[in-house]
Amino acid sequence: MKSPIRVDSHAKLTGRTKYIDDYREDCMLEGAIFFSPVHAGKITKIVFPTRFDLSEFTIVLSGDIPGENIVPEPVCDQLFLVEQHIGYKGQPILAVAHPDRETVRQFVEEIRIEVEPYEALTETKVAMDDERNAFGNEIVIDHGAHRKVDPKWIFTRSVYYTPHQEQAYLEPQGMLARYDDQTRVMHVRGTMQCPYFVKSAVDRIMGNKIEKTIVQVSEGIGGAFGGKEDFPNIVAGLSALLSYKSGKPVKIVLDRAVDIQVTTKRHPSRTEIQSWIDPSDHSIRKLSVDFRLDAGFYQTLSPVVLARGVLHAGGCYRCDDVYIRGRLMRSNTPPNGAFRGFGAPQSLFAIESHIDDLAHRLKVDPLEFRRKNLFSEGDPMPTTQAVPEDHIHDALERLIEISDYEKKVLEFAEYNRTHHDKKGIGLSVAMHGGGYTGNGEKLMKSEVKVVIEKDATVKVYVINTEMGQGVQTTLAQCVAEELGHPLEKTFYMFPDTSKAPDSGPTVASRTIYIIGNLLRKLARDIRSEIGEAPLADYIRQHPDKFPMERHDFFEADESVDFDETTYKGTGYKDYSWAACAVEITYDPDTWTVEPLKVWSVLDIGKVINHDIAIGQVIGGVTQGIFWGLTEYFEKEGVGRMNGLTDYVLPTTLDAPDFAVEFIHTDSDIAKGLGEIPMDFPAAALRNAVLFASGKKFCEIPLIPERIFREET
Amino acid sequence: MKIVFKLNGKPVEIDCDPMRRLLDIVREDFCLTGTKEGCGEGECGACTVLLNGKPVTSCLVNAVQLEGAEVVTVEGVSETETGKKLIACYDKTNAVQCGFCFPGFVVSSYYYLTHDGEPNPEKIKRALSGNICRCTGYTKIFEAVMMACEMAGGQS
Repeated sequence: MKSPIRVDSHAKLTGRTKYIDDYREDCMLEGAIFFSPVHAGKITKIVFPTRFDLSEFTIVLSGDIPGENIVPEPVCDQLFLVEQHIGYKGQPILAVAHPDRETVRQFVEEIRIEVEPYEALTETKVAMDDERNAFGNEIVIDHGAHRKVDPKWIFTRSVYYTPHQEQAYLEPQGMLARYDDQTRVMHVRGTMQCPYFVKSAVDRIMGNKIEKTIVQVSEGIGGAFGGKEDFPNIVAGLSALLSYKSGKPVKIVLDRAVDIQVTTKRHPSRTEIQSWIDPSDHSIRKLSVDFRLDAGFYQTLSPVVLARGVLHAGGCYRCDDVYIRGRLMRSNTPPNGAFRGFGAPQSLFAIESHIDDLAHRLKVDPLEFRRKNLFSEGDPMPTTQAVPEDHIHDALERLIEISDYEKKVLEFAEYNRTHHDKKGIGLSVAMHGGGYTGNGEKLMKSEVKVVIEKDATVKVYVINTEMGQGVQTTLAQCVAEELGHPLEKTFYMFPDTSKAPDSGPTVASRTIYIIGNLLRKLARDIRSEIGEAPLADYIRQHPDKFPMERHDFFEADESVDFDETTYKGTGYKDYSWAACAVEITYDPDTWTVEPLKVWSVLDIGKVINHDIAIGQVIGGVTQGIFWGLTEYFEKEGVGRMNGLTDYVLPTTLDAPDFAVEFIHTDSDIAKGLGEIPMDFPAAALRNAVLFASGKKFCEIPLIPERIFREET
Repeated sequence: MKIVFKLNGKPVEIDCDPMRRLLDIVREDFCLTGTKEGCGEGECGACTVLLNGKPVTSCLVNAVQLEGAEVVTVEGVSETETGKKLIACYDKTNAVQCGFCFPGFVVSSYYYLTHDGEPNPEKIKRALSGNICRCTGYTKIFEAVMMACEMAGGQS
C-alpha cells in the first residue's frame, strides 16, 4: 500500500515550520547558562566581567531558586545550579539574560570563577575498570541453573568497551519561558521529548511562587534521539527562573559547541563476558555478564538505562544458566542520558561481538553458530520470561537470503587469500523490548484523548512529541484508519500540557507501540459506538452528541508481572526482532574500513506507514554504523569534542547502501520501531572487520588510529 | 555600515555591523526563519542559501560581503517553478524527518538541479555533501533528488 505523505513534510521543506529559535516575543530577553569550566572543586568567588554594565543583565544563582534546587529524575540527585561544590566540567553554575544574544554569550564567556580544586576522575575507561567507582545500587539477574563447570567446556573471557555518543540532533537545545504575573502562570515552549517532565521540572524549581506551569512544544523539534528526554528540564527550569526574575520572556538556545560539551550522551560501557561452550555440540552451557555504564557525576535516569542494558545483555541466545550483573559507575563528567536504544546497543554490541569471537575460536561460521544457539519460542530468557515467538529465526533466514550471505562468505574468503586489500561481511541479531521496562507501562497508565468536532474534524490529543519520527502522521493514521475517516480530516494536536492528557514521555519505542495501539483501540470503540455509517453522516443525524470527547487509558495485559528486586518475570511484553549483515572493504595499509552495504530484516509487527518506517530504520542504522566506525567524542589529552567540526558526523559521501525488509507485518500489533535499528549495526560492522582482518576488536569506534594501534 | 543587496529578488538595504552574519540578517532583520542555525561553523549546512547563485553556508558570510550581491533563501527557492517541483519530489518520497536540515538540502539540491541536473547518484551525493542530516541516513533524500532530476529530463 502506498504510504500517506507526511503531514509535516511541506511546511518543513519550505522553511515555514517554526522551531524554538524561530519564536520571538515582545521585550524578549536572550538567556545563556554559565557552565563550570573546571572538573571539580569548591567555588570561592564568581567574578563578572567589568566591561559590561551589570544593571543590564538578569542573573540567577542557586540562591534565587524559590522552589527546590533538584531536577526531577528517576534518581533526584542532580542540581539545577551548583550551590558550592562543582562535580563536573559543564555543570550549570548560573544563568544570565540580556536583550542581545551576542552580548549575553560574550558576558558568560568572560565570567571567571575562583575554585579550591578537588581531585577529579574524568577518564571514563578508568572509571569503569575500577569497581570502587560504582554507585551503590546494582542489578543482578540470577535465575540460572548454577551448573558446575565441566572442565571439558571451552571457557572464553572478553571485555568490550563502547564510547560516548553524541545525539547530534541538528537543532540545539532551546526553551522560551514567559511568566504572566497577572495569572501567575509560567508558559514554557521548546524543543523536547517529554512535556510533562519539563512541567514537573519547572514546577519544582519555581515552587509555590507560581500558580501553574503550561508546557507547549514548538511546531518543529529538530531531532532528539533521546537527547531531549531530560536535559530540556534544566534549560526550561533556568529559562523560567530568568523570566520570573526579569519579568520578561526569556529564550535560551544553546550554542552548538556548548550543547555538545554539556548535554547528556550515550553512556560509555564496559561489558565483561565469560562463556562456557560445550565442544561436542557448540551449545552455550553457561554465560556470565558484568555490565557497567559510566553514569557521569549524577545518576539521574541512568538506573533505567542500566535496567534495559542488563535485560538485553544475554542477547537472543538459548542458555539456561545465565548470570548478569549491572552497575553504574561515577566519574567527574556530565551525567549521561538517553540515546536511542537506551543501554541495549551497548550490551547487544558486547554479546554479538562475543558470539563471533566464539565462532572464530571454534572455527565455525558465525551464521551456523547463531543458527545453533538462537533461542526459540518458549525458551527461558535470563529473567525466566518465556521467549514469546520464533521471529528472530525468521529474520535471520530472510536476511541470509536477501544479502546472499553464504555466497559472499565463500567469495570474500577466496578474494582475501589472493589480495592484499580485504573484503568482509559480518552478522548480528537483536531484540528490543517495546515500551517501559518491567511494570513501567502498567504503573504509568497512559491516557489519550480524541475529540470529534461538529464539522467531522477529528483531533488527537497526546503529549508525545513529533521529533522527526513521524508521529504527527502515524498517530493520526492510527485513528483515521480505525475510524474509517479521511486522514486529511484527522489531526495530531501539538502537545500542550493544558490540553492533552499525560500519555507519557516520547521514549522507549513506545509511541506507536503503546500510544498508537491505544488510539487504535479507542477509535475502534468510537466506531462501535456510532455504528457503520460514515462519521459525517452520523454527526448530521446526532448533532447534539458533538463535539464528542473520548478518553482511554492504557491497561497492561494481566500476564505482565515483573519483580523489580529480583528481575524475574516479564521484562517486556512484546519484543521487536532484527537481523543485520554489513559488507565492508578493509585497507590494511591505511587501516581504513569502508562500509559498502547494510541489509536489515526486522519484525516490528504491523507497519503503520511503510515509508516512515523505512526512514526510521535507515536513519537508526546509520547512527549505529558510525557509532561503530567514526564517531568519537573524547580524545586523549584534548577532552570532549567541541562542535560539529570536531565531532564528525557521516555525510552523504559516507553513507553506505541500505536494504531494509519487514517481516510478519500481518500482525495486529504495531511493535516498537524507533530504537531497534540502533541495536545491531555496530556489532555486524565489527564482525565484518573480524572477517576481513582476523582481528577481534573489543572497542569501538574502529577508527584507523585504533586499528593501527592493535595491528602494530 | 549601509549595504544594498537583493534578497529573494527584491532590492533591500541594511545598516549594520559589517561583521554581522548573513544568517542573522535573513533570520532576524527579514524574519526569513527558514534558514536554520545548526552549528554556526559552516559544518552542517542547515543555513545554506544562494549567494550570487552559488550555495554558501550563511553563518560564514558577513554583511560586508553582501554589497551588490544577490541572496536567495529557501523561501525564495520555494517560490520558483523548479523549486516547487523539487519540493514535491521530497514530499512524495517521504524523505523528511525532523526537518531542521531540509531547507539547506532544498537549496543545495535546487542548485544541483539548475546547474547540472543529471540523474546520477554519485554526482548527487557529491552535490549534497555539504549538508548533514542526522535523521535519515540520506537514502530518501537521494531518491527525491533523483526523481526531480528525472522529471526535469536530465541535463537542464
